[in-house]
Amino acid sequence: MSKIQQLSIFLENRPGQLTDITTLLSQNQLSIKSINLIDSSDYGILRVIVDDSQKAKEILDDAGISLKIVEVFAVEIDNHLGSFNEVASLLSTHGINIQYTYTINTTQNGAFIFKVEPTLLDKTIELLKQNGIKILEDIRS
Amino acid sequence: MVYNEIESAKREELEELELKRLQSTVERVYSLSTFYKEKFDELGITPKDITSLEDIKKLPFTTKKDLRAHYPFGLFTVPMSEVARIHSSSGTTGKPTVVGYTKSDMDVWDEVMARVFTLAGATSKDIVHNAYGYGLFTGGLGFHNGAEKIGAAIVPASAGMTDRQLMLMRDFGASILASTPTFALHMAEVAQKAGSDYLSHYKLKAGIFGAEPTSKGLKKEVSNAWGIDYHEVYGLSEIIGPGVAANCKESDLLHVFEDHFFVEIINPQTGESLPDGQRGELVITPLTKQALPLIRYRTGDITSITKEPCKCGRTLLRMESIVGRVDDMLIISGVNVYPSQIEHVIANTEGVTLNYQIIVDKHGHLDKLEIHIEVSDEIMTDSLGQMGALKKEIQHALLNNLYINAHVVLVQPRSIERSMGKAVRIIDKRKEQ
Repeated sequence: MSKIQQLSIFLENRPGQLTDITTLLSQNQLSIKSINLIDSSDYGILRVIVDDSQKAKEILDDAGISLKIVEVFAVEIDNHLGSFNEVASLLSTHGINIQYTYTINTTQNGAFIFKVEPTLLDKTIELLKQNGIKILEDIRS
Repeated sequence: MVYNEIESAKREELEELELKRLQSTVERVYSLSTFYKEKFDELGITPKDITSLEDIKKLPFTTKKDLRAHYPFGLFTVPMSEVARIHSSSGTTGKPTVVGYTKSDMDVWDEVMARVFTLAGATSKDIVHNAYGYGLFTGGLGFHNGAEKIGAAIVPASAGMTDRQLMLMRDFGASILASTPTFALHMAEVAQKAGSDYLSHYKLKAGIFGAEPTSKGLKKEVSNAWGIDYHEVYGLSEIIGPGVAANCKESDLLHVFEDHFFVEIINPQTGESLPDGQRGELVITPLTKQALPLIRYRTGDITSITKEPCKCGRTLLRMESIVGRVDDMLIISGVNVYPSQIEHVIANTEGVTLNYQIIVDKHGHLDKLEIHIEVSDEIMTDSLGQMGALKKEIQHALLNNLYINAHVVLVQPRSIERSMGKAVRIIDKRKEQ
């Protein structure tokens, strides 16, 4: 369960497009665990982590909304200074490029979501575990 | 296989028949139609002036405006007792265009549609799924009667209700699909949801598509999505409905059933005749029509013709798939562009589906061209950079090939309006202002 399925959803640049999606998710009892929006001048990508990504994909597909499921992982934040830097440095010294990162909050702790090159994903998780870094196993908690 | 031997007759024989039929059509309209009598008199010509096919150039043109001006039956040359069928266009751009058929006109229509089915390889053993709309639109009944004529089993599904149509096509084992290309593509999109092996549930071998302008890219997409031979049919209700021309298995060019429909290509601006091979406006004179014989009807469609022999053995001249409409030609900042050329560029971009819409507007005094393209699974990525690169690729291709500046806008899948009949491909907002 170390890997997390993130939905990358295409957003048209028009009012209401974001709420169309969040309304669909909430109407179907899907809980948003984390959300991150990136945009260019005329479209955007919404990166969302929900408690049931397969169900969300079906619902959004049916509603005619384009999306991709992307695998990411989450590292639990230890409440001390420099914890993010430790992870980033470790990946950097091993030549693993972080494509993007953002945060997720669970009831107990916060965590950082990381996206790396898909072919390096397993290796990265392994590396972090070996170095005693805690990978968030279940986002539903 | 050829349905009627006239399709592979010697050209001299064919042209001799055409001249005879042209002369009798001209006699007919001169004596029966005040509209044509007046037009001929104005030009100082009588039926006697037509002694060769070349002489057709002396005759006046007929336009859609003439049909509208004589709404509904003003140009009919038979009493209502001889009219067997009336069809009408949707009339979205004014009064509808009304056309009539005598029993003999219906026979001609059935005959040419039977030829179309034969061109596509259909026989009495086939099951024809007809998804053209039944009703005032000539598509539904035109295909219906042609399939009946060759003795095939017809499923008169008509348009709409995609899921149900797919179920019927699967369960009945349809072998020939007749529909608009965009509806065929729409059905394929829905069918694909059943899984990547969806084609194993269908027995289609060929499709006969028409009623919409179609680029090579769209044809290929429909043909691949269904794993079938693509046959295009051309026609218009003013002339007969579908059945004026269709392509055989040997080429993309459409054989014109010229023993019934005499075709010419003219310069749409000057009305002058253009030689074979040059693109211009297609002008048709039906040679056997009784109820509504028209002289040199200006179709508004842009194409070219060739009399080069075809491998299939038919000697009938062939026309290109329609390149565009005379009135569809867009002038973007002084550059002439046909939407089909834009479609060609889109079709050549990997991963992009042909679900697009062209929107032309004014930005201050400047023309502004936007092309909306639906995001398919193939082009959806997790990266703004990659999607931006695709946009740029299309914009560059349009600039390099067509010399136009366009702004590509990515939109959600299935968000561009699909009509069951004709696709809404171009919105020219400049005309509304």
